[in-house]
Amino acid sequence: MSEDKRPDSILAAEYALGLLEGQELLAARAREASDGAFAAEVAQWQDRLAPLADDIDPRIPREEVWARIEAAVGEDAGTAEVVVLRRKVRRWQWIGGVSAAAAVALAVFALPMRQAPDGSSGNIDSGPALTQPPLAANMPIEGTPLRLDVTYLPDAHALLVTAVGLSDDGVHDHEIWLVPDEGELISLGVVTPGKVTAHEVPIEVAPRIRGGSQLLLTREPLGGKPPQDEAGPVVAEARFAAI
Amino acid sequence: MQRASKAARDKLKAAMNRLARGDKAALEDVYRATSAKLFGICLRILGDEKEAEDALQDVYLTLWQRADRYDPERASPIAWLATFARNRAIDRLRTGKVRGAAVPEDKAAAVPDGSPLTDAMLIDAEREARVHSCLEELDETPRDAIRSAFFEGRTYAELAERQDVPLGTMKSWIRRGLAKLKACMEAGE
Repeated sequence: MSEDKRPDSILAAEYALGLLEGQELLAARAREASDGAFAAEVAQWQDRLAPLADDIDPRIPREEVWARIEAAVGEDAGTAEVVVLRRKVRRWQWIGGVSAAAAVALAVFALPMRQAPDGSSGNIDSGPALTQPPLAANMPIEGTPLRLDVTYLPDAHALLVTAVGLSDDGVHDHEIWLVPDEGELISLGVVTPGKVTAHEVPIEVAPRIRGGSQLLLTREPLGGKPPQDEAGPVVAEARFAAI
Repeated sequence: MQRASKAARDKLKAAMNRLARGDKAALEDVYRATSAKLFGICLRILGDEKEAEDALQDVYLTLWQRADRYDPERASPIAWLATFARNRAIDRLRTGKVRGAAVPEDKAAAVPDGSPLTDAMLIDAEREARVHSCLEELDETPRDAIRSAFFEGRTYAELAERQDVPLGTMKSWIRRGLAKLKACMEAGE
């Protein structure tokens, strides 16, 4: 339709303003995630428009909102580890070459904390940089616009699972499986919806993960596959690739 | 003219950096400095206190989980947080859970005039950002439509319905307005 032809800069403005809905919104969101130049246009529009928010009067939220946030953060014990692991991935991306996919990730993550102006060291040490390349897999979930990002950090024996867009349906959990070169599927843990979590990879499993290794995501009852049952239906799959 | 306090901004920037390194105490510092501004934004867009509280909680929890996404090179922390809160509130509108009746909000406690909060966290320190004057240069219809989109999270379809014009007409009005806005902004960038 000719009326819907417009330059990217205008599409970026429409998206930044929130005018789009339905398919157009999903398409713009996907482009922001995959097209660095478009993402930069969106960011530029957001910066241009942001000062308009000064016309909105501040309002004081009820004190219990903070209490809820504090309680939720308290439960989120894995997070500090996640922050450390994510920094390691980023450092790797800076040291190594930057692939197209990583460049997009960098456009999002940018380079915020290479130094801290206040000079304090924080309460978590980032530890030594990685010596082995991390592997990443991106799993689009069938029938939805959602994706699960899985990053494996060999040195840390950890799997970073980003499931921020996913919500809990209260009936199912999703479990991540490694398809080894031979032998049975190996569980890499149950996904925590709406969160970024770090999963420990057992030392005997680590050598079996390499670039090209296949991952499956299955739908299971709450808590993951019961030991006596077969794994549930596969809803997504992907292969690890070096980043 | 209200001036943003540079000290308040620097303090916020330092807290954001601590947060990005996983310092939990920094989250409360960021919350205390910015929650009134961000709650105002969520409330304006969602028009419902309960929804705005949920959105606010979601904003700070996501911030805690993804604090390393903030890039101090790109925008001031308050501008970035305001954009982030607005986007989350609009996402909530679009999921259809909220009716999207952005109404004047009067139940939430207003911040008293002269409180440090009212001037410390302005995005545009001098209130002279180009977007204000560039928007003024547009014709009334596109200007009002763009403002409704920004402040109430209205979609093209809602704006067309409200003005009682075909969707295509509203789209071309706004697109022409945005092109003009862009040219005006670029003249000053």
